[in-house]
Amino acid sequence: MKSSKTAWGLLAPTLIILGLVGLLPFIYVLYVGFHDWMIFAKVSGLVWAGVDNYRELVFDEDFLAALGRGLRFTIWTVSIQMVLGLLLAHLLMKKFKGRGFFRAIHALPLTVAPLVVGATWRLLTIPGLGPLPFYLNKIGIDYNIGWSAQQAFFTTVLMHIWHWTPFVTLTFLAGLSALPKEPFEGAMVDGANQWQIFRYIFLPMLKPVILIALFLRIMDALRIVDEVWMLTGGGPGTATRYVGIHIWRVVFPMTNYGYGSAMSVLLLYFIIVVCWLLLTVITQAKREAGT
Amino acid sequence: MEAKKTNKKREPGFLRMETNLFDRIFIGVVIFVAIHLLWMRFLESSISLTVASIISLVLIFVIAKWG
Repeated sequence: MKSSKTAWGLLAPTLIILGLVGLLPFIYVLYVGFHDWMIFAKVSGLVWAGVDNYRELVFDEDFLAALGRGLRFTIWTVSIQMVLGLLLAHLLMKKFKGRGFFRAIHALPLTVAPLVVGATWRLLTIPGLGPLPFYLNKIGIDYNIGWSAQQAFFTTVLMHIWHWTPFVTLTFLAGLSALPKEPFEGAMVDGANQWQIFRYIFLPMLKPVILIALFLRIMDALRIVDEVWMLTGGGPGTATRYVGIHIWRVVFPMTNYGYGSAMSVLLLYFIIVVCWLLLTVITQAKREAGT
Repeated sequence: MEAKKTNKKREPGFLRMETNLFDRIFIGVVIFVAIHLLWMRFLESSISLTVASIISLVLIFVIAKWG
């Protein structure tokens, strides 16, 4: 009984902080999502709207398009980040001269604030000033993210990969360092080739780490705002207006807090469903493979 | 004691997954929201949203009990 009280006492500061910075704002956003709230409207306070915001949302083509765009961005960035991260982690586990230096330097993009990353990439890609359009023009590619929707999209993908792959690599490195050597040595003694070791020992043992990295990257990519905002401002047109940017435009310049909150809640719901489905599929696949 | 019992993992129901009560309620709530959103998009012009709420609540109960 006493130990239980002590445990709750020790947990209390964490629970209080989590409640204040996580749970309370969430409940408030949920509450605002069921209201109309535009500070420059005739009635500037909260006006109960029931599910009207959500009803409007399911017909909002701009929002649905932004959600689809965000999903496409997430699929591109996260899949490349996972593969690259795994390869880099594998390489950085090998012993070679200067390994410590490379381990430190590859994580440098993580230390840069997203807004600065966006601004730096903006400088890199400005036509007539940036080196990227200059060199691509030299090899015959007309590169201009100001008017080419596809180029703008893939530039945001590239920037995000550049910024966040080190995070995946570091996560995998931590996981790899904790793996025991015995199963690998045993497999090699038994004559398993590199692919079999990778498929049947390495991947299953690293699965919890892969899942954590995957979910964190999916959540982060789906709600991206700052980097892309600095680089393209969501343009050209709506080519890079991902869902986070779309919500930002509704909440701040248009001051439609009720509708913006409903969009945020729906995005959260969407992220939860995607992660849960992924977890279920992966867990189910593992169980079926085991039986 | 009873609460502890119901939250224990048990033999998979019709969901064919190992779940505890919290998992099943979570799945029920996810389906509840999905049904309402799809209903508002495709059916609300002809059938009231209250019907969706009743169906969803029944589904939550069914999933929590036999899922």
